[in-house]
Amino acid sequence: MNRTGSLYEPGNSLFHRLDGAVKLCLFAIWTILTFLFLDLRVFGVMLALGVILLVTAGIPFKRIAFLFWIMIIFTVLNSVFIVLITPTFGTRLTGTNTPLIPLGYNTINAETLFYVLTLSAKYLTLLPITLLCIFTTQPSEFAASLNRIGIPYKIAYAVSIALRYIPELTAEFRSTLHSMQARGMGISKEDGKLMQRFRNLSAVVVPVLQSALHRIDSVTNAMELRGFGTQKRRTWYSGKDMKSLDWMMIGVSVLLFGLGLWLRLKGLGPYWFPF
Amino acid sequence: MKKSLFQLNTKTVVTIGICAALYGATGFIGVPIGPDTSLRPAIALLAIFGALFGPVVGFTAGFIGHVLTDLLTSGMVWWGWALGSALTGAFMGIIYLYKGFDPLAGLVKSKHIGFFAVYGIVGIILSLLFSWWFDITFMGEPSDKLVIQVSLASLSNIAVFVVLGIPAVLGYAKRNRKASNLSVNE
Repeated sequence: MNRTGSLYEPGNSLFHRLDGAVKLCLFAIWTILTFLFLDLRVFGVMLALGVILLVTAGIPFKRIAFLFWIMIIFTVLNSVFIVLITPTFGTRLTGTNTPLIPLGYNTINAETLFYVLTLSAKYLTLLPITLLCIFTTQPSEFAASLNRIGIPYKIAYAVSIALRYIPELTAEFRSTLHSMQARGMGISKEDGKLMQRFRNLSAVVVPVLQSALHRIDSVTNAMELRGFGTQKRRTWYSGKDMKSLDWMMIGVSVLLFGLGLWLRLKGLGPYWFPF
Repeated sequence: MKKSLFQLNTKTVVTIGICAALYGATGFIGVPIGPDTSLRPAIALLAIFGALFGPVVGFTAGFIGHVLTDLLTSGMVWWGWALGSALTGAFMGIIYLYKGFDPLAGLVKSKHIGFFAVYGIVGIILSLLFSWWFDITFMGEPSDKLVIQVSLASLSNIAVFVVLGIPAVLGYAKRNRKASNLSVNE
C-alpha cells in the first residue's frame, strides 16, 4: 500500500481507460449476478471472464498475490468448516445422499463436497472484478465516480477522506501501540492474561481517539476555510467526461445483466448439481 | 451543542471520513476465535463514534469503514457484514438522541450508561442476525455453520463493547468534565 492508501497500479488497459463510474456499475452488476446464482456453470464462465480481464489489465501478480492468497485461505478454511460442521448439508439441496468419507459422528457425502465447491467458486467469482476495480482506479477518481453514480458529493468526499487517512491512522495506531508496549502494556500473548491485554488495549484506544478528534477539528477548519459545502454541486479535479467506450461498456454490461436475469428466471434454478 | 441529525455539514463529513478510516485502521488487528470469525476491537470505536456523534455518523462510518477495510485487506466486500457494522453503529448512536447526554461536555448520567449498554447489545445482536440472514439468502451458506459464526461474533462483540466501548465513552466524558467546572442553575 502506498502513501495515499491505494493499491492503484498504473497502466493502459481497457479497465484503466474506463471511467470509474462505469467500473462501479460493472462491479455492482457482477456482484448482483453472483448473488443470484448458486450454479457452478455460471461461476465457471464468470470466473474465466474475470481472469481474462485481470490478465489483460496487466497487473503484476506480485501485487495481487497477497489478496489472492488471503482469499484462497479463506475459502479453503470456510469449506473445511462447512464440511466438518454440516457433513450432509448437500442432501438438503439435492434430496439425494451418497456417503463418501466416514467421520465418526457423521459421513461426508458427495453432495456436500460439490456444494462446497460451488460455494468456493461463488466467492472466487467475486474476487477478479473487485481486484480490477481497486487496482485500476485512482483513489481521487474513485470519489468522483461515486458522485457520478448518484451518491451525494459529501458522502463521496467522506469516502475520499477515509481512503486518504487509513494509512496515516494505521501508522499512528501502531506507534501508540508500540509506545504502550515499551511501557509494558502490550497486547500480545506475552503481556499477561486476556483480561489484562484487554485493559491494555483500552489504554491505547483513548489517546488514538483523542488525536483523531483533534484531526477532525483541523481538517474541518482547513476545508471550511476553502469553502467546502457552500454549493449544491461540486466538480472534481480528477473527474473525466464519459467517452464512447464507457457508454459501450455500460451497454454490454446491461445486456449481460439482462441475460443473467433471464437465465435465472427462465432456465436455471437456484442450485445446480450434476447428480 | 448538538446539531440536526441529517444535516451534513463539513464537520460531519470529516467526522465520517476520519471515523471510517480509524475503523479501517484498527480493523487490521483481531484475535481469531472461530471459523473465519475474529475478535476485533474496532467495534468499540463504533460505540464511541455512535455515542459522540449520533446514529447517522455511526451508520455511515461503520459502512464505509467496513467496505474499505474489506477492499484493502481481503480484496472482496462482505456486504452482509458491512451492513451489519453500519446497523451496529446506528444502534450505538441512539443514546446520542437523549437530552442531557453529551460526552463532549462531560454530561453522562448513570441511566444513560444503562440505556447505552442495552442499545449497544441489542444493536450487535440484531446486526449479526441481519448478516446471518444476508449470508443465507444471497450467499447460500449453510445456516448451521453460520449459527456458530454469528453467536461467536456476537459474544465477542458484546464483550469488546462492554469491556472497551463503554469505559472509553465514560473515560472520555470524565476527561471533559474536568475541563468544565461551570454548572448550570435551573
